[in-house]
Amino acid sequence: MQAPVLVLNEQTQRDTGRRAQLTNIAAAKAVSEIIRTTLGPRAMLKMILDASGGIVLTNDGNAILREIDVNHPAAKSIIELSKTQDEEVGDGTTSVSVLAGELLSLSEQFLERNIHPTVVVNGFFRALNDAVAIAEELSMQIDVNKPGELDKVVASCVGTKYVSRYGDLMVKIAIDAVNTVKVEDGDRITADFKNYAKVEKIPGGDLNESKVLSGVMFNKDVVSGTMRRRIENPRIILLDTPVQYQKGESQTNIELTKGEDFQRLMELEEEYVQKICEDILKFNPDVVISEKGISDLALHFFSKKNVSCIRRLRKTDNNRVARACGATIVSRTDELKESDVGTGAGLFEVSKIGDEYFTYVVDCKDAKACSIVLRGGSKDVLNEVERNLQDAMCVARNVVKKPTLVCGGGAIEMAISHALMEKSKSIEGVVQQPYQAVAQALEVIPRTLVENCGASVVRVMTALRAKHANGENTTFGVDGMKGEVVDMRTLGLFEPLEVKTQTIKTSVEAAAMLLRIDDVVSGITRKQDPASGPVQHDDDD
Amino acid sequence: MASQGLSVDGERQHGQDVRTANVTACVAISNIVKSSLGPVGLDKMLVDQVGDVTVTNDGATILKLLEVEHPAAKLLVELAEQQDEEVGDGTTSVVILAAELLRRANELVRSRIHPTTVIAGYRLAMREACKYIKSTLATPIDKLGREALVNAAKTSLSSKILGSAESDLFANIAVDAVMATKSSKKEDGEMYPLSSIHMLKAQGKSASESQIMQGYVLNAPRASQSMPTSVSPAKIALLGFDLRRAKMKMGVTVTLNNPEEINKIQEKEIDLTALRIQTVLNAGANVIFTTKGIDDSALKYFSGGNAIACRRVTMKDMRRIARATGATLQLNMADLNGDESFDPSMLGHAEEVYEDKIRDDTVMMIKGPKVQPINTVLLRGPNEMMCDEMQRSLIDATSVVKRMLDSNMVVAGGGAIEAAVSTHLENFATMLGSREQLAIAEFAEALLVIPKTLAVNAAKDATDLVAKLRAVHSLAQSDPTKISLSKCGLDLAEGAVRNNFNAGVIEPAVGKIKVIQFATEAALTVLRIDDLIKLNKKENTGEALE
Repeated sequence: MQAPVLVLNEQTQRDTGRRAQLTNIAAAKAVSEIIRTTLGPRAMLKMILDASGGIVLTNDGNAILREIDVNHPAAKSIIELSKTQDEEVGDGTTSVSVLAGELLSLSEQFLERNIHPTVVVNGFFRALNDAVAIAEELSMQIDVNKPGELDKVVASCVGTKYVSRYGDLMVKIAIDAVNTVKVEDGDRITADFKNYAKVEKIPGGDLNESKVLSGVMFNKDVVSGTMRRRIENPRIILLDTPVQYQKGESQTNIELTKGEDFQRLMELEEEYVQKICEDILKFNPDVVISEKGISDLALHFFSKKNVSCIRRLRKTDNNRVARACGATIVSRTDELKESDVGTGAGLFEVSKIGDEYFTYVVDCKDAKACSIVLRGGSKDVLNEVERNLQDAMCVARNVVKKPTLVCGGGAIEMAISHALMEKSKSIEGVVQQPYQAVAQALEVIPRTLVENCGASVVRVMTALRAKHANGENTTFGVDGMKGEVVDMRTLGLFEPLEVKTQTIKTSVEAAAMLLRIDDVVSGITRKQDPASGPVQHDDDD
Repeated sequence: MASQGLSVDGERQHGQDVRTANVTACVAISNIVKSSLGPVGLDKMLVDQVGDVTVTNDGATILKLLEVEHPAAKLLVELAEQQDEEVGDGTTSVVILAAELLRRANELVRSRIHPTTVIAGYRLAMREACKYIKSTLATPIDKLGREALVNAAKTSLSSKILGSAESDLFANIAVDAVMATKSSKKEDGEMYPLSSIHMLKAQGKSASESQIMQGYVLNAPRASQSMPTSVSPAKIALLGFDLRRAKMKMGVTVTLNNPEEINKIQEKEIDLTALRIQTVLNAGANVIFTTKGIDDSALKYFSGGNAIACRRVTMKDMRRIARATGATLQLNMADLNGDESFDPSMLGHAEEVYEDKIRDDTVMMIKGPKVQPINTVLLRGPNEMMCDEMQRSLIDATSVVKRMLDSNMVVAGGGAIEAAVSTHLENFATMLGSREQLAIAEFAEALLVIPKTLAVNAAKDATDLVAKLRAVHSLAQSDPTKISLSKCGLDLAEGAVRNNFNAGVIEPAVGKIKVIQFATEAALTVLRIDDLIKLNKKENTGEALE
């Protein structure tokens, strides 16, 4: 008889049909199970030890999933959802994974009942379109310029995080930072806090001492101890070139025949530095900051004129200083102009916190960049506070850009769920069931909130469902602290529409993609495995 | 078993054994991709050893990633890739059809018909099939217009992840994208260079928010944040040279005697670049893209001149921008007089160039180019795998649209064409009085594998449906008054036979003809083999060779 014909590489593993679908679903569920407990105001933190022994303490969905190492491809795709959510809107990273996991686990029944995955996917997409429309219908506009409105939204974001104890402070920081860096250019509003709002973490002190500076600060000291450490209304010159002798790019050889020539060469180098310094000093600066080095000779010239110098500042920091004090970064000193000098800052000060020196350029008149100083117990805590703050700033930015809100605390999910259920009754055919599954899956958010605060899940959920039953009371949700059904408007719990719709879109589409898979082939390409090289020809006879 | 005392160091297999082995391998390949055919086909998830995941429905991609090892199966994979290059769509069909042809040919050979007879028969059948499609089944597109294009794109997309919900949106995107590339430079007709379709993947939002954007999105940030964020109207200079400090080529050494000179060299280095930038700016340019670097110290000149500059722009982007804005890529600035100059006519024009944010990325938007409108397809999706798959699907759809525009002939899809050709070939076979008759009859049977697989994937009764389909087509071909029935194919949602042409399920005729040609070629190549010699690897040099 004929020996078996081997077509594929022997090392590949194949899962096909039902098996592939079920393992995918199981993997996705496992991932969402991990982070379920981090949802809501009663959320718990996760402690993750990474491979190099570092610790990550967080309840940020994206940060948790980024750290854990998974093997299963479907689990990976769920993890990537958190990343997408984080990059797109910055918040709701936990909800997206929880929702996707719930959707998949609800679709398991369809596969068992032999409903074709394409039909399920079809139902999902129809539900998604309706859900987004419903969410938009239930949303409300706010006026961001009215004091207090923006605070509420950011507060409900901060409320679920580690820093909730310092909620008011964090809200203030986030909003101040976003307002500082906000640029309105016609109808395009940009708030680039990634580049212009730097978070500086200084361990020690108390979280209450954290603040947004009206300017920037960075971890540098003036070059020599004799220079002035405190200057009011400084004139600042920013350079991105070294203030020292620089060789040319081309390869040059000099043949010296006389002793004097060598002397002259030395002098030339000094003259070069002197010229640069003179160019700079012509503008009477108080502070000179360079991204590159400043030679001792140059320092000598500067300190004679009582100019404070800082060297080797990072490019990004330098950009922020430029935006804060209105200076232009100069690269050729002979092209320096009066307008390049930064005069916007009210105070230049170097102060010592703990063991390190920090330079402050603060009290700026019209700062378009800022630093956020975070103080707190330990580095791990500060890292978590920073992550929370990033989320809060994202929310603030989203609201500033698009001031449309929905109710938080599971209220909007419950309302959409109910509306979808009602709509599903008018849908004919098998599609109805997966359509309803989306509605059902949305309940996972309020349910998890109730679970996490230790209330009776069945009682609270039925009460909530009853509230929503006749399509009214769409603002009722779960108070994640007490586990009671309350009107979100009285609680003041709002979230940006964009975050919510993005959560639903991402999770439904990802679930749909995983459901369409009926074949998983893993282990292709065996490049790093030289041992298997010689075995690769199949034995045909 | 089949090994004999061969003087070479290896194994030999021949005769029926090798034929059966080859056919089994090809059928195995076809079984793998089978379930991804048609509007109710499912996707495959492929994971490589590093753990990177690809989710796809595209036959060519699946086969490329599968690492097929069997030599005959490899042949089949290569043919599928060729189809992908030539037509861009229909790779799954090629593999399934070729495997079916082979399986049937093997049966014929087993019943003592010489392979060359089978080959001759298959050739004849293929030629007749193509002729029949061209002469009778295809409909010229001139009278169909845009709707037909959208329908064809939809048909291609229907089997993909995009098809389930957003096929309208994406079909329109595909058509718009292809139409935008239209260039009628050559006298002999319009060209649709697909390579100039620009696609940008960005995770986030929802697939339904993918869009075709007016203007070109260049995935590069401003070189310096002190540059303006927008300029309007934009005059664009495309440079292919370095704007870093000018330096001598490697190995060139300047030797000086006078120490005073050294500073001059340095100053010259900076001044040279500064002069170049100034020349470009003086020519009126306010947007400068270069494929090379820009020195940090040179950025100030741009900011001072209120110009935007981007460095390290890829050549591909450059070419597309050049085509759209009418700019000419300058590789150096030397002119005939030995001086450096920049001719304003080299500049491209656009209404506006501004910096925008897509997700977290900074991009440059080029709006309203003067010479040719240019579009960017922005794909959104929940994660990378989905975006990748969306891109693959859309590329397939655009190539279908292009084929439609090139060939001007369409046929009905959904198994209609296969059933029609099959019926025709059956009649054709009976007209031949030679041994080829058998092969042609098998060829006709083999074509039915496509509607059969479609029905099976949709979990419908394949036997019943295909029988109905054949009955319809045989009626269409015997009764001239019922010729419109020849456009009947399967409706997979309902499990019925319907006129697919009217239902909008159409495909370019070229694609179908190529599927049949490639599949036959593949089958014949494998069929001709009757001997397989595999040399043993030499122990000491084996690894080096591999």
